Amino acid sequence: MAVSIPDDVYFASIAELNQRLKAREFKAHDLARAFSEKLQRVGPGYNALALLLEKQALKFAKDVDDDLKVERYRGPLQGIPFGAKDLLAYAGQPTAWGAQPYATQVFDYTATVLTKLAKPGAVLIGKLAMVELAGGGGYRMAGASISGPGLNPWDKTRWSGGSSSGSGIAVAAGLVTFALGSETSGSILTPSAFCGVTGLRPTYGLVSRHGAMALSWSMDKIGPMCRSAEDCGIVLQAIAGSDGEDPGSAGKGFYFAPQYTRGIKEIRVGLATVDIDEWADASARPAFNQALDVIRGLGVQVTAAKLPDFPYSVLANTIITAEGACAFQKLIESGEVDQLADPKQIAGLKAGLEIPARDYIKAMRIRSMVQQSFHDIFADLDVLITPTRPGPAPLISQPVGTALYDRPQPKDRGLTQLIPAGNLAGLPALSLPCGFADGMPVAISLVGRPFSENTLLSLGREYQKATDWHRRRPPA
Amino acid sequence: MSTRVTRRELGAALAIPAVLSGQAVAPQNTDEELKAARDQFRQNGETLAKFAIPVTTEPAVHFKA
Repeated sequence: MAVSIPDDVYFASIAELNQRLKAREFKAHDLARAFSEKLQRVGPGYNALALLLEKQALKFAKDVDDDLKVERYRGPLQGIPFGAKDLLAYAGQPTAWGAQPYATQVFDYTATVLTKLAKPGAVLIGKLAMVELAGGGGYRMAGASISGPGLNPWDKTRWSGGSSSGSGIAVAAGLVTFALGSETSGSILTPSAFCGVTGLRPTYGLVSRHGAMALSWSMDKIGPMCRSAEDCGIVLQAIAGSDGEDPGSAGKGFYFAPQYTRGIKEIRVGLATVDIDEWADASARPAFNQALDVIRGLGVQVTAAKLPDFPYSVLANTIITAEGACAFQKLIESGEVDQLADPKQIAGLKAGLEIPARDYIKAMRIRSMVQQSFHDIFADLDVLITPTRPGPAPLISQPVGTALYDRPQPKDRGLTQLIPAGNLAGLPALSLPCGFADGMPVAISLVGRPFSENTLLSLGREYQKATDWHRRRPPA
Repeated sequence: MSTRVTRRELGAALAIPAVLSGQAVAPQNTDEELKAARDQFRQNGETLAKFAIPVTTEPAVHFKA
């Protein structure tokens, strides 16, 4: 007989759920069935579901229960239901990349990250919706997806953010305990901020991309979207590591050990007040200022910081579009690209094939300078802090650029370009919910030097001990 | 009554015209979109061209950090 799953389970942390499974309050099979049912019932209402994998999940969860029954424990992810962005291959099942031309695409292999999560017993219950082709050609509207616009669980008239839209929605709405997203330039951080979940963009190369859609070989990263920094650390430990199948693999693993990182009072934090005073929406400034007060209150060393004057967005745009157009050359030249939902995306990919080699190479040379400049910045600092996005999620009816790009930049740009800049340099980032503006979640981001995830997670964990924004739930 | 939704049913449900789902309709003139994209990339190229780079600077092809 199926056990009734209490409502709080849908919003419990990884560690808590795992404890309750070990205490036999319910079985992994019960959990997988309950989450699958909720994902199937609620997910389509937010345009969050790409593919339900209930049958596979229930079979896998039964094996997990067999292990738990004989106390064969495999760590905190054992029995935990999760979802994966639909750019990750799962053998024998459709992987549509959010795009109509790939609606029936099936791979005969499974992405490394999914295989890695299966080992400790995490239960994949479904693939989650995304912006088509992760938005590589640029997109104008939230509806640039085979699944339709990602609707925000906090207000369905607002966008979820993208391109990991379903991942942000599913975690925020309690449809999964955690999700995998991917980021080329903002696709984990943005939906994490807009949906009020905690998202981690790992250092480039730390997590294998084998089996993931390639948009930009030199910028794609896969990372967790969770309920807390603690949960992000647990998931990252499971998915990180060397992989010979990924030419970009850094050959490094990750052991989540925030207790062994340097003391909070030794962490040197850089911030720019202009980010909040001039760049952020007026409605969001109180939340951002309060967040900085909390960070200061933790005892970190705070100093002023700003990014050097590089054309970050131009660099990211040139590199991503040139690489993306090459990745999708066959789609473009066959004319199937016209089946995509967003005309701007179609045009961007087509025109991307025409970007001159000199522009791409020049962008990559300037990118070297960007990397060096961060090396210099992090000689004196450990963490940079800025609003993840300057305001809350835009309305579905608004062009996405209104919220993300098309806003006046302050004369002193502070750290406002940290999303493209950090992605160009392959730096890790952690987005933390920090309050509300206009009734919608807003977030701050911590960015550190390469492979400093434990420092970011340590500071994030302390911040979340002092606040409860990450525990807030959207209206049922 | 079953609450199961097949992939096909889900796809059909999502195929609601954008205007009915409350989403603003993006410009449909593909020629204008393509021209705008090309203009954007040309401007990007001009921005990059103005940027002075030391002759020894190589492309960022290694990301082992």
